[in-house]
Amino acid sequence: MKRLTKLMAGAAAIALATAGCAGSGGGSSDSSGGGGDKTLTVWLMNGSAPETLTDALNKEFEATHDGVTVKYEVQEWNGIQDKLTTALASQDPPDVIELGNTQAPSFAADGVLTDLSGDVDALGGGQWLSSLKDSGEWDGMQYATPFYAANRVVLYRTDMFQQAGIAAPPTSRQEWLDAITKLKAKFGSDPQFQPLYLPGQNWYALLSFIYDEGGDIAEKNGKDFKATVNSAEAKAGLEFYKQLVDASGTTAPKDNDEQNPEQAGIYGQGKVAMMIALPWELGTAAKDNPDIEKNSSAFAIPSKTAGKAAPVFQGGSNLAIPVNSKNSDLAKDYLKLLLSEKYQKQLAEAGMVPGASTDLSALDAKPVSKAMADASKGGGKAAPATPKWATVEAGQNPLKDMMTAYLTGAKDLDTATNDANTALDAAFKG
Amino acid sequence: MTATVHTAVPAGTSPPAPPRARRRRTVNLGERAIPYLLLTPAVVVMLVLLGWPAVQVIGISFRKLDLGELVRGELVWVGFDNYTKVLSEPEFWTITLRTVLFTSAVVAGTVLAGLLIALLMRHLSKPVRVALQVTLVLAWATPILAATTVYQWIFDQQYGILNKTLVKLGFDSFQGFSWFSSGTSTLTVIGILIVWQAVPFVCFTIYAGLLQAPKELYEAAAMDGATSWQAFTTVSWPAVRPLVTLATFLSVIWDFKVFAQVWAMRQGGPDGESTTLPLLMYLRGIAGRHFGVASAVAVLMILVLVVLTARYLQLLLRTREGDIS
Repeated sequence: MKRLTKLMAGAAAIALATAGCAGSGGGSSDSSGGGGDKTLTVWLMNGSAPETLTDALNKEFEATHDGVTVKYEVQEWNGIQDKLTTALASQDPPDVIELGNTQAPSFAADGVLTDLSGDVDALGGGQWLSSLKDSGEWDGMQYATPFYAANRVVLYRTDMFQQAGIAAPPTSRQEWLDAITKLKAKFGSDPQFQPLYLPGQNWYALLSFIYDEGGDIAEKNGKDFKATVNSAEAKAGLEFYKQLVDASGTTAPKDNDEQNPEQAGIYGQGKVAMMIALPWELGTAAKDNPDIEKNSSAFAIPSKTAGKAAPVFQGGSNLAIPVNSKNSDLAKDYLKLLLSEKYQKQLAEAGMVPGASTDLSALDAKPVSKAMADASKGGGKAAPATPKWATVEAGQNPLKDMMTAYLTGAKDLDTATNDANTALDAAFKG
Repeated sequence: MTATVHTAVPAGTSPPAPPRARRRRTVNLGERAIPYLLLTPAVVVMLVLLGWPAVQVIGISFRKLDLGELVRGELVWVGFDNYTKVLSEPEFWTITLRTVLFTSAVVAGTVLAGLLIALLMRHLSKPVRVALQVTLVLAWATPILAATTVYQWIFDQQYGILNKTLVKLGFDSFQGFSWFSSGTSTLTVIGILIVWQAVPFVCFTIYAGLLQAPKELYEAAAMDGATSWQAFTTVSWPAVRPLVTLATFLSVIWDFKVFAQVWAMRQGGPDGESTTLPLLMYLRGIAGRHFGVASAVAVLMILVLVVLTARYLQLLLRTREGDIS
């Protein structure tokens, strides 16, 4: 008897183990279901489309598609690449997925997404945001559609600016540095006060400065990318970053990024006058300190040319259909609806740059969203559209090492940028 | 169990000599089979849960398996390409050397600290000893990532309690000192963390060995006028030697493949200078999605580990009854 129990336990363990192998894409659709009943599984990311939008969208989709249930699941950014990897490899992947625009090229290049080249026009391709269109493209084919874009702005405390006698938000680098000096003069007696919170590894901000100098971190050469972090423009961008850090005297860690510790939380403590952030980080800060929202506004990252905004690092998301999806036609219908004028407008109202609509008027309603829309007019660039970039972000980012090394004085400007250049080139070859 | 019931069947009713002999043979066969049958479930479970994945890893290391191949379920054999790729990177050799040095330092630290604390425990009064033991168990029970976070705070450049304390003590150069500015310094911090987490187990293991040494032996040694060092070498050490060996080799295996603390602390940075072999495997496999290359790294890791623990394996195979020393 005992042996039998043991055997059964063994068998159960085996069953569990094999099930663990086969069904690793937990939480995917049971789409097969007979008759016309189908389930469309949709994975969107936390913080992208607001719930009011998705509720209305899913309701409308179910109403217009008989017997179809939308299984809508919100995913977390943290660890999403691993989760997508396992989900895509499963037999039953989700039918619609959202990808970060820096991740999209690698998924497209691996051939795990459905080719949408033939549907571009039906999906509103004429109005697509070009930088997001590019990140969904590989080898001349369109594997992912734009969803929304967002870029960083400088969030600031209107009340502190007023008290420090700063009449208007800065519109040039010099005015920005002057504002820091004025804020310091006014509030500097408080040792915890920081005119500008800027951690050492906010490479999104650095990229903006580099673009402003007319440079980039890599150049495309046919199909290959070559790092250009040691160019004169990139060096000038990095020098300005250091100038900002030094002028502000920020106590933010030089060896960490804006997520560690989460900068919104520090802004929320009320001792910071400015931070370079995404518009919705203000909402996060307001969770700790509800008053801060009405005392805050935003301006575009100023350019070195007075009166202009610096080009921004274009962040955002793409939408795609996994190649193993069993409902790809339904999924295309779903994308069509999501990218339609109606829902793109709602996206803009929620404070994002819509990916498939050139109408940005809805963004003007809130000052912070308006600042973002203004900033994106200065031109936006995304990370190098190579499949290898996802590896850089998911693994070790040489830009972060470069920034820390230069800011802490561990390396001089030339060594830091040359080392990063070599490391990036190696990653592009990876 | 059924087999034993068979042997108990009385012989009386059965026919005489020749059949009897046959039955005896079957009984013997059954008896001989029992241990193997009893072992089967465990062996099957081990083969399925340990053997099969290992075979898979070796198989995958000879395949090109990126996300595309994985999703499409393609089998692309590439021979030794993955190995050539890994071994031809100068980085791999640096990382291997770094991992071996890091492992040796951490293991030496762990075993030495464990041994010393175990010896100390023998001399402590009961309440103090219990307090120490509770502390050790708590350190042991702290979740890995929680402990890592606490260590990050301790060593934080701006707000860390370590820098603040050092400055208060008069070492002004530690104001804003970055403990994570070089690979060596980062690995030292990680090493301290791992030692802190590993000492309790080693310490309790060795302490258990010390309790085995009869009190009379210490008394006799004291009577013969042995110094405390002599008492250690002649009484304590023989008692704990097999356990120290065991703890050392277990630590080698554990510390060699430690991932969570190293990754969580600084993702193998700065400039990849604290990257160890498990991190390289993660970077190639999960971050880079070259599962074939990552498997090759995994197989090479096993080989390095076999070389490192060769002496122990040799002892294990040569000795019986676990008498390892």
